[in-house]
Amino acid sequence: MSAEPDKSFTSVTQVLYGVENAVKLFSRVVHGADNVIDICDDDIISHTATSFKIIAERVLQTGAKFRYITEIKKDNIKYCKELMKVSQVRHLDGIRTNFVVTDTEYTSSAIMQQVHAHPEIVYSNVRSIVEQQQYLFENLWNKAIPAERRISEIEEGIELEKTHVIQDPHTIQRLFLDLVRSATHEVLLILPTINAFLREHRIGVIRLLMRAAREHAVNVRILTPTGDVIDHILKNEAISPQEGEGRKEFDIRSINRSHEETSVSTVTIMVVDKKESLVFEKTDDTKENFIDAVGMATHSNSKPTVLSYISIFESLWKQVDLYEQLKTHDKMQKEFINIASHEMKTPTQAIIGYADLIHKHPEKREDMMQSISRNAVRLQRLTNDILDVTRIDSQTLNLHKEQFNIDDLLENIIQDYLGHIEKENQNIKLFYNFKQNNDTLPIDADRDRIAQVISNLLSNAIKFTAKKNGVISISAERKEKEVIVNIRDTGEGINPEIIPRLFTKFATRSFSGTGLGLYISKNIIEAHGGKMWADNNPHGEGATFTFTLPLSNRRAIMISREDGGY
Amino acid sequence: MDDEPDNTSIFSMSLEDGGFEVDAFTDPLLALTTFRSGHEKYDFLVLDIKMPDMNGFELYEEMRKIDNQVKACFLTAFGEGYTQEFGRRFPASTNVSFIRKPIRVDDLVKKVNKMVNT
Repeated sequence: MSAEPDKSFTSVTQVLYGVENAVKLFSRVVHGADNVIDICDDDIISHTATSFKIIAERVLQTGAKFRYITEIKKDNIKYCKELMKVSQVRHLDGIRTNFVVTDTEYTSSAIMQQVHAHPEIVYSNVRSIVEQQQYLFENLWNKAIPAERRISEIEEGIELEKTHVIQDPHTIQRLFLDLVRSATHEVLLILPTINAFLREHRIGVIRLLMRAAREHAVNVRILTPTGDVIDHILKNEAISPQEGEGRKEFDIRSINRSHEETSVSTVTIMVVDKKESLVFEKTDDTKENFIDAVGMATHSNSKPTVLSYISIFESLWKQVDLYEQLKTHDKMQKEFINIASHEMKTPTQAIIGYADLIHKHPEKREDMMQSISRNAVRLQRLTNDILDVTRIDSQTLNLHKEQFNIDDLLENIIQDYLGHIEKENQNIKLFYNFKQNNDTLPIDADRDRIAQVISNLLSNAIKFTAKKNGVISISAERKEKEVIVNIRDTGEGINPEIIPRLFTKFATRSFSGTGLGLYISKNIIEAHGGKMWADNNPHGEGATFTFTLPLSNRRAIMISREDGGY
Repeated sequence: MDDEPDNTSIFSMSLEDGGFEVDAFTDPLLALTTFRSGHEKYDFLVLDIKMPDMNGFELYEEMRKIDNQVKACFLTAFGEGYTQEFGRRFPASTNVSFIRKPIRVDDLVKKVNKMVNT
């Protein structure tokens, strides 16, 4: 048979034999191409020397579009790179076919497989066959990935991206354990049910994870429904000499019923080192045994798949956190409303009661009027404080900052209190000690709010010192870029039980106070970038309240306010 | 019994105006001691719930040990939570009721009258 296809027919499909024929035919088909040369090749290395030259020439002559599909591996990268200079190249896993298809011709051979010394070659220019092959090529081309991506994956040492389905429960269990053991940085695990947790615990996954966290600092995070049984297991597992060390690496958050609907409720998802994911279904959650309960699994190291699972995990992880915060906030809010309403009803009851009784007991009119007035003031103070708390909690406390000297403000307020103490004939001594060396203490702050804080602290000090005829001393001093204000009294001191929650809402409640003053004061100071704390005096009686505020960066004000107001 | 002196003074004045003889306390422990030394004198207790040292329920529990027939009403400025707590503490008791603060003095007298007479 001739190496040349029979040209007497306009359309022909033929079979030819031998390497020589194959090369000639290949060359002829390529040279006949005007617009498109599409090649599928399963052995680029043994093929390149001859074919490159031929193709490159034709491409240069005609500007034909040239596309090449092959399986790119470590050993053929350099040939691919050569080819990429004249062609678009794509990679397809495990491709096993060799053919060339152009606008009008098709040839396929086994020439690339070196073992075949006498390969068969199929040639066709029958339009329908050529079109069929063009269709086949197009499909393969769309399945293949760009050579650049594959080459960089190989060069960066990334393994082939694969997702596969596993049906055999024993293989799933083995893979599950192997993956956990292989973790070097991180394991993310979502368990759908308490039973799933128990099954996974039975096959040793939980123990392995704890060990990984403890001994290899692998960051393990688990999302699972929790209950007493699980708490008990975790507690037991943690009993080991190195218990504390792994703690921060091993974190469990509870997916509880309320958002189970929105969570992943039927599959276990695990992501290891951000590189591999294993997802398996549970077919029967009542089964105690992993093998009996597990359904189908997918194992993947495909980046998009793994990243998607990471993103699902992180969203749920965050959601659990936000949910807990919301719950706490909600609880605190309810508690606040409850106490606030109680606190408001008490003076309201007094006002309503006396207003009702005042007509029946005209002889007690004066006393009752005074009581009404006192309770009305209490109610007003409470209303103001509750409004302040609401502003603080909703972060809408607006500060109208201006520059002023805090020592001037302190002095003005102290003068007012001295007047008050004298008027009330209270036996309290009030000392203050600042303005040393004519040093002023300028701050950028909301004057009214800082005055509110100082008044609150002074009122408290007087309230708890009045019975004991004590001494209150106030100091303000510069320390680096801050001013430190101390208000020290020799009063009753703070009840040690209250100290931990001294600055929380309604920590103390007395008739004359709302229980909100210190909470408000601390928040005002913190809103100015300062700090506030309190201690019982170490030697002696009473307590000291301290707050700091940043001093103004701007030039100090040398002239103090003369109007005496604040 | 109310730890707020204004309230005890208002409630006792109102009830006295309504024809009752009233002993008023702001200290629950003192109220308990007094009750112990002469419980037969008292037909009815008006107890605030939220008080320091001992809350109204605890006080009532102690008082029932002395006289398990004594009727009481609880004053509360809180919401529904306390009725549930009461249900738990006194599952079978019918001798009690609740009054929500603030209350007009005439309403208080009417309610107490009704409860004393049933």
